[in-house]
Amino acid sequence: MADARAESSLFPAIAAEQADPSALERDVVEHFDRMRARLLRYLLGFGLPAHDCEEIVQETFLALFQHLQRGRSRRNLPAWLFRVAHNLGLRKRMRTRATEEIDDSVIDPAPSPEDQFVTSQTQKRLLAIVGALPEQDRRCLALRAEGLRYREIAEVLDMSLGAVSLALTRSLARISRAAEL
Amino acid sequence: MHISDQNLLQFLDGEIPASERALVAAHLAECWTCRVRKQEIEDAISDFVRLPKPQLPPAEGPRAQLKAQLAQLGRARPRNWQLAAGICALLIAGLTIGQFWRQSTRVVFAVPDPKLTPGATVLLSSGEVCSASNTKNKAVPVALRQKVFEAYGITHAEPRSYEVDYLITPALGGADDIHNLWPQSYSDTVWNAQVKDDLEDHLRALVCEGKLDLATAQHEIAGNWIEAYKKYFHTDRPQ
Repeated sequence: MADARAESSLFPAIAAEQADPSALERDVVEHFDRMRARLLRYLLGFGLPAHDCEEIVQETFLALFQHLQRGRSRRNLPAWLFRVAHNLGLRKRMRTRATEEIDDSVIDPAPSPEDQFVTSQTQKRLLAIVGALPEQDRRCLALRAEGLRYREIAEVLDMSLGAVSLALTRSLARISRAAEL
Repeated sequence: MHISDQNLLQFLDGEIPASERALVAAHLAECWTCRVRKQEIEDAISDFVRLPKPQLPPAEGPRAQLKAQLAQLGRARPRNWQLAAGICALLIAGLTIGQFWRQSTRVVFAVPDPKLTPGATVLLSSGEVCSASNTKNKAVPVALRQKVFEAYGITHAEPRSYEVDYLITPALGGADDIHNLWPQSYSDTVWNAQVKDDLEDHLRALVCEGKLDLATAQHEIAGNWIEAYKKYFHTDRPQ
């Protein structure tokens, strides 16, 4: 496997020099194009202002550049990116002591007029239910919705697989009950 | 007897063990109650997915910003071999000095200290090991994790940087004992927790196929799991 062959090097700077540096930059930008929206949506759930989330995404991809430059593993980079972004998000939130509220300037679902009634009824109730979920449960749900496997969610959030499974089951049961009302 | 919501969701998410998948599918074919519940779970997923999403700022600006920063990082790299060699020498010297600093902030253990973590097993036959349906490691209790961190002198480390891992996985008869646990880095080494998980799965498969006896598998993984990985995957680097 080509990725595995590039795993490690005694002299990472030389190894990186041997590779085409602009190719590495292009590679990182391609990952940015694929992952930026997913990471940004996830980070907005931390209640941080949009510009802070955008900054964290930038930091995450600079970390990816350095990670790859050092010849580190390319295995499951999407999960790696979520893990880095998650840790940076937590650190940022601790520093800024941001509230749990999501920035209203960013969350603007702007439903079409015909959707407004539904939004104001069922979906408002569901949004309230999701907002009231324990933070870790909400993150499990968000990461699963972004396509992560249970094992990847467990690694990002430092939980056991069983805890991920339970959190998802619990959250969906609440959503299910709320939708029935 | 009906299928639990948790198992239904695992089934829908493709996360249920292969051995249970057929049983759940067969039950669903027979049981209308469980089929309705499965549909309700799918409806809840659908409701969640259809919730209004935040409108994200356009990507062009941040993309251009990232490209500029990457180009700057790229330009900072040495342009010839002599310079590269010089920087490598400085890097190595810096790493040596930095080692002392890292000891107090972030420590990487690719293999455990054999004095602290020699490995410990419970008495199980290979038949008992292979008949276990759940091969996932259970979470290590917080108090025990803390003891492991203390034993390894990790006082300021971010717990999220580590998985307190079983040296001999319980799926191979490893014991839930501090002598069988050590802090393994998630991402700071090539030989990380995910790579070790691959070795554990591979050794368990060999044991259950009768190609390797359980005691040998336990001994191999407790001795030096990285060497065991190289031996059993016939490679010097993780695949």
